Amino acid sequence: MRGWYGSRTLVSALLGGQSQPSGAAANRRLRVAALRRASGGQKGREQQQLFDTALLQFLVCPLSKKPLRYEESTNELINQELGIAYPITDGIPNMIPQAARMIDRKIQDEESKKT
Amino acid sequence: SVYHVFESVAKKYDIMNDSMSLGIHRLWKDTLLHQMNPYPGTQLLDVAGGTETNAGDIAFRFINYIRSQWDHQIRQKLKSHQNLSWQEISKSYQQEENELPGGSQVVVCDINKEMLKIGKQKAQHLGYSEGLSWVVGNAEELPFIDNKFDVYTIAFGIRNVTHIDQALQEAYRVLKPGGRFLCLEFSQVNNPLISRLYDLYSFQVIPVLGEIIAGDWKSYQYLVESIRCFPAQEEFKAMIEDTGFLKVEYQNLTSGIVAIHSGFKL
Repeated sequence: MRGWYGSRTLVSALLGGQSQPSGAAANRRLRVAALRRASGGQKGREQQQLFDTALLQFLVCPLSKKPLRYEESTNELINQELGIAYPITDGIPNMIPQAARMIDRKIQDEESKKT
Repeated sequence: SVYHVFESVAKKYDIMNDSMSLGIHRLWKDTLLHQMNPYPGTQLLDVAGGTETNAGDIAFRFINYIRSQWDHQIRQKLKSHQNLSWQEISKSYQQEENELPGGSQVVVCDINKEMLKIGKQKAQHLGYSEGLSWVVGNAEELPFIDNKFDVYTIAFGIRNVTHIDQALQEAYRVLKPGGRFLCLEFSQVNNPLISRLYDLYSFQVIPVLGEIIAGDWKSYQYLVESIRCFPAQEEFKAMIEDTGFLKVEYQNLTSGIVAIHSGFKL
């Protein structure tokens, strides 16, 4: 068993170290790293701790079963249609409806007018 | 520190589970994995127990199982002197580093966010990170799209759900066609002698142990009582069939103290 793992590092050494990462996992890492840089500051970094946006491929609002949007500034998952936001703590999304907060409709309308 | 808190709480539950079931709960969970027999590539949703079960117990076993299956496959290929190009070999190494073998994924979902936090910390401590996600959610109202998972497991969790039929319906919804539902849960003992011993043990010993070890007699008394209320093997099987699952079967473990129910979405 040990010989097996030993030869793994030998192979990667022979192939010239880690080549350019590919695939979904690497994209996810790059996105997370970008989030970390963008958040800035120690507190921001702790809060943003690794929310994996790849989850959005299958994570939906438990009420409407419709897709969500990740809002970086508040670290929340938004159901635009229903006007609710689910919090993310320590990278773990809280998808219990009671945990969600209502988004102020007025602010929503203003923002959509801007774009 | 946070790590200390995690350590002591997780340890308490481990000791409690071990003392109550005399360590047998580990065997029950191992049996669940063997029944599941997942292959590299499987997408698993584990709807965790939250209280008695440490979040992550099933997920970690799943990952270990997949990894050893993968290693076995590679060794078999090498043994039979099949030609692998250097590209193939390097690809299989890279896969292990960036993701689980075959792109397997585990999502652990629980209503108790504290238990998930502990599970996630435990995972990081034990070196499980890739392919593993944690989501706070309600088994009766899952935050996932339809037809997503190959396997849905719920170990010592369904007993605590208020509307079991809703949880079963949600399980059906999120499973892919061909997907499998697996439930590990306390059930009704089928042997009269064992039943008597079990009663004595449940009502006399467990709450006392609960107090001594976890300082929590009430929870463990509740636990014992909730086991009584949960439907017996045949009745639960019927509920699963009513939801639409086919080829529904159950296997008794330890004289029916625990049972594994299985069904397919076809």
